[in-house]
Amino acid sequence: MPRVTIDDRTVEVEAGTNLIDAAFKAGVQIPHYCYHPRLSVVGQCRMCLVKVAGMGKLQAGCATQVMKDGMVVHTDLPEVKEAQQGMMEFLLLNHPLDCPICDQAGECGLQDYAFKHGVAFSRFQFEDKRTYPGRERIPLGGNVMLNMNRCIQCTRCIRFTEEIAGTGELGFFHRGARTEIGTFPGKQLDNQLATCVVDICPVGALTSTRFRFAERVFYLDKRPSLCTGCEVGCNITIEHRRGAIKRYKPRFNPDVNDYWMCDYGRATFERYRDLPRLSAPRLRQAGTGPGVATDPMRPRPDLTARPPAPAAAAVSPPVAPVSWREALDAVARHLRSRSAEGAIAFLGSGFLTTEEAYLFARLADVAGTPHRSVAVELGPERHIPNLQGGLTGRDAAPNRRGAELAGLAAATTAAEAGTAGPILDAESLLRGDGAARCAVLVVCDSDFGAAAWDPATVERLRRARVLIVFGWADSPLAQAADVALPVATHAEKDGTFVNVEWRVQRFERAFPPPGQARPAVEALSELLARYDARWANLAAAAVFDRLATELPAFAGLSWHHLPATGAALDVPAARAFPEPHLQAPEDTAVGI
Amino acid sequence: MSDPTAAGRIPAASIPAAAPAAAAPREQPAWSAAAQAQVKELLARYPTREAALIPVLHIAQREWGGWLPDAAIAAVASALELPAAKVYGVVTFYDLLHQHQVGRHRIRICTNLPCMLRGSDEIMETVRQELAVGENEVTPDGRCSFVHFECLGSCDTAPMMMVDDTYRENLTPELVRRILRELD
Amino acid sequence: MAPAFEPVLTRNAGNPGALTIDGYRKSGGYEGLAKALAMEPDAVIDEVKRSGLRGRGGAGFAAGVKWSFIPKGKDKPKYLVCNADESEPGTFKDRLLMEKDPHQLIEGCAICCWAVQASTTYIYIRGEYTHANAIMEQAIKEAYQAGILGDSVLGSGFKLDVYMHQGAGAYICGEETGMIESLEGKRGQPRVKPPFPAVVGAFGAPTVINNVETLANVPHILVRGADWFKSIGTDERNTGPKLYAISGHVERPGTYETAIGIPFSELLDLAGGMYRGGKLKAYIPGGASAAILTADQAHLALDFDTMTKAGSMLGSAAVMVMDDTTCMVRSVARLAKFFNHESCGQCTPCREGTNWMELLLTRIEHGEGRPGDPQLLRSVCKNMNGTALCALAEAAVGPVDSLIKRFPEEVEQHIRDRACPFPHRRYFENGAS
Repeated sequence: MPRVTIDDRTVEVEAGTNLIDAAFKAGVQIPHYCYHPRLSVVGQCRMCLVKVAGMGKLQAGCATQVMKDGMVVHTDLPEVKEAQQGMMEFLLLNHPLDCPICDQAGECGLQDYAFKHGVAFSRFQFEDKRTYPGRERIPLGGNVMLNMNRCIQCTRCIRFTEEIAGTGELGFFHRGARTEIGTFPGKQLDNQLATCVVDICPVGALTSTRFRFAERVFYLDKRPSLCTGCEVGCNITIEHRRGAIKRYKPRFNPDVNDYWMCDYGRATFERYRDLPRLSAPRLRQAGTGPGVATDPMRPRPDLTARPPAPAAAAVSPPVAPVSWREALDAVARHLRSRSAEGAIAFLGSGFLTTEEAYLFARLADVAGTPHRSVAVELGPERHIPNLQGGLTGRDAAPNRRGAELAGLAAATTAAEAGTAGPILDAESLLRGDGAARCAVLVVCDSDFGAAAWDPATVERLRRARVLIVFGWADSPLAQAADVALPVATHAEKDGTFVNVEWRVQRFERAFPPPGQARPAVEALSELLARYDARWANLAAAAVFDRLATELPAFAGLSWHHLPATGAALDVPAARAFPEPHLQAPEDTAVGI
Repeated sequence: MSDPTAAGRIPAASIPAAAPAAAAPREQPAWSAAAQAQVKELLARYPTREAALIPVLHIAQREWGGWLPDAAIAAVASALELPAAKVYGVVTFYDLLHQHQVGRHRIRICTNLPCMLRGSDEIMETVRQELAVGENEVTPDGRCSFVHFECLGSCDTAPMMMVDDTYRENLTPELVRRILRELD
Repeated sequence: MAPAFEPVLTRNAGNPGALTIDGYRKSGGYEGLAKALAMEPDAVIDEVKRSGLRGRGGAGFAAGVKWSFIPKGKDKPKYLVCNADESEPGTFKDRLLMEKDPHQLIEGCAICCWAVQASTTYIYIRGEYTHANAIMEQAIKEAYQAGILGDSVLGSGFKLDVYMHQGAGAYICGEETGMIESLEGKRGQPRVKPPFPAVVGAFGAPTVINNVETLANVPHILVRGADWFKSIGTDERNTGPKLYAISGHVERPGTYETAIGIPFSELLDLAGGMYRGGKLKAYIPGGASAAILTADQAHLALDFDTMTKAGSMLGSAAVMVMDDTTCMVRSVARLAKFFNHESCGQCTPCREGTNWMELLLTRIEHGEGRPGDPQLLRSVCKNMNGTALCALAEAAVGPVDSLIKRFPEEVEQHIRDRACPFPHRRYFENGAS
């Protein structure tokens, strides 16, 4: 591989690497706007001009490739600095001074480079700035807002729609100083990946309709995590302020989502923000089961109205808040005492982390029941491109594969289950009369899409003599439960998800759970400890290391050594598990 | 902020699409058979469909009465299987492709340096007075519209202008008046 | 210099019969092509190389050398794109060549295609040249009928198609890669180079791009030989006949063919001297993008190297002449307006710089200039020079920079007096008021 020397640092790069990437490898930052590693090179912004020894003019770093050994590049010569200052001046000539009301302020390429490479005053003093009247607030589609006054014509967004999304909704219109971007009149920027143009816009020209004026970006805490919208497992950054999530941003992982994520995934944080939380354990005091509360959250809520108080529809005999200890005592009691009176069924969801699923399966083991399964709703297909061709997600949950590998896969035959009667799996519980045969039904967690909000489904599950629900939302299902246990969302806990390509990825908590909610791993480990003290006080890391020694698919992995981009599991996908319910059920209105 | 879409309070589906291309549906002339034949012949000249775009836009502009309403652009885009935004970008790039109504006769007055050095300012002013409309406007009878133009490549006969496809050269104010009055 | 120069490129200019294939043949037409087809392609390239023919479009790059960059081999199609997008203000010579002698250009194209083994030529003609386009279309049609174009050029078995391609009004499409983009049906935004068109050009294939006048020279080189060609001109780096398009304040503006390197003063005489007996103040030797030269530089030879040495350029040899009633600020402001209008807008220094220059020059001309504006203009020029993606930014800098350099007093006077010192000249007695 050829070697290149950039500001006296020599690195070896693959032939054909451009100077921006080569410099990055050498630890030198070459400023740029229009260049993006996944988009075609256009050399338009001219910020990346550098001096290449032996060449007269300054060269655009993005368009200059290292082909032969011994190239010498300077990014710190006075002539380079002057050119950069010149470009910054040109870019800022007509740029509005509206940083105080611009969402991009704080993460703006113009601000950053003006500070680093610009000059402090403007020589463009006596002429009017160029503006685009009527083009300051153009909704390009549902999710992206254009302010043309702020645009620096780098065309990243246009190239994104042409080259990555493949939809080509955006174009470059007019020419010269009047050049602008936009959609064809009457058309919208409307594709699954649309909001990625906001991420790659280096300035405040394209902003997210969802995030507009939601928060100043410099007040945001940013924590790496995973998207829970589907089984692709896009790497994200959770950006929150004091536990209130403001937005998701894609986080680079070349093996999964590359630089991108879909608009649906980006919006999924809103359910954590908007749905009422289950904040304390609740226990039904005595007597018969409750009626079923109607769904307060469907259809999609009017977000300006406050949701009704969770307990408003409480029925008699009432549920009452109790301590975790009392609640777990009740669960343990039910699992033990009723075991002779009928089946005990464990219903998991695709939102469980692998560790939670593993502990949940162990609890099923100690309860001695074969009835265990994972409920997953199918969503519309979501395709995320990457250099290997991309991933397509169908499950509307991040971890069906992990949960099944961890021991929640439903038995396919009665013999395998070791029972005489039918197997009480997700299908029979959610859509059949399985629950009516249950002495105890344990649901963990209740987050399996629309089902927890569907009165008919809740009513079906309620037919179990005792209904125990772990959940983060105060859903009708939680309200119907005899024991309701508040657990953490994925932003509030540690864990792993196994994505559609059997890649296990780790995430860690971004902020603590509110109220009395706790990660399900804690609660389950406390429950298991009542059977065997060795299960006490296990954190997700310890559970993962334990399951890695036990489950062949995870052999050799450990929590602390799991690579940042995840690890591909050794699971021959074809024979792992049959795909359950491949035909989408009729009522798959998008669950909130 | 009065911005109704601020902070994503309105779900995507409820944001109305940008105003439709034409508020009142315009008369949409179909491509004439002759034009279709021309397009077909053009496509055979190039290795890609896209390459025929500019010649096809010239044809469409003739078909649509001298300019390209959004409907014409959409028709070309679909004929050549190109994203409409791309075609729109091309149309807005070139000076000879018009997005606004033009007169039956289009007058382009060269005002670049060689013509300026021979009196194009006075020619421009004469046209303005004679037609009694501003640049890029159409006379009330729909007869003429005019624009100033960059060099038309006839500096040896400056000052000059282009009336539709014809060069009118060595102009004087009287000659301009006569030419304009003779237009039907 | 022989006083009676025998026209080469314009020999048929007064001969309407040459528009037909028979008329053209009578003037010796298509003999060069026949001769070329009898030679090895490489030998044709060598002959053109030896002639010293340099591109007549502006940059002055050696034509034969350009052809030799085209990769050999038949695995990929190759193209010739003839640049007939003559849009440089002051330039009108290519229009003359196409309108008066279309077959000369077709023959030049055919020889070039044989030399580089290209089988398709696109003649990219600016959209405003409707008359020239009609004449070329007619000539091409005849050439097909006569077996000069088509499946077997002059019966040689060499296949060649020639198509006219009309532009739609954009100066930037005269830039090689802008032209290719436009030919491919896109906005005429120049590409980053490398790769150069000889490697990746039109439709991703190797492509030669030559100006009309350059190609029109080629048949004559084949017929009369490189040595004949070299015998014309100032030296071995500036050879052959040349068309000079002279306009502005001269008595007989027009296209004049002479040996390359005629001194400006002689060309001015050919054009009948100054308009209405005025006094020469300045001239631009090579189109709107060349630096302005002053009256005391009138003796300079109009060839590539002399002009470059004088800090200007021969460019397309579009000579614009200004007499002493001309306001230089106003003239340059007009050119700046042109470049601002024609900037494609993709790259920062050109998009913003041409706009800023126009604003600054306009305010100076209107008496609203400020002390320090000349320095500011020069600084803007400096930031545009050598930083842009294509040559348009530098073209825009040419006249502006030379205005500040060569006419500093005139600029200062505008700023000092808060007004343009030159009255608005009226050219017509009875013009509009």
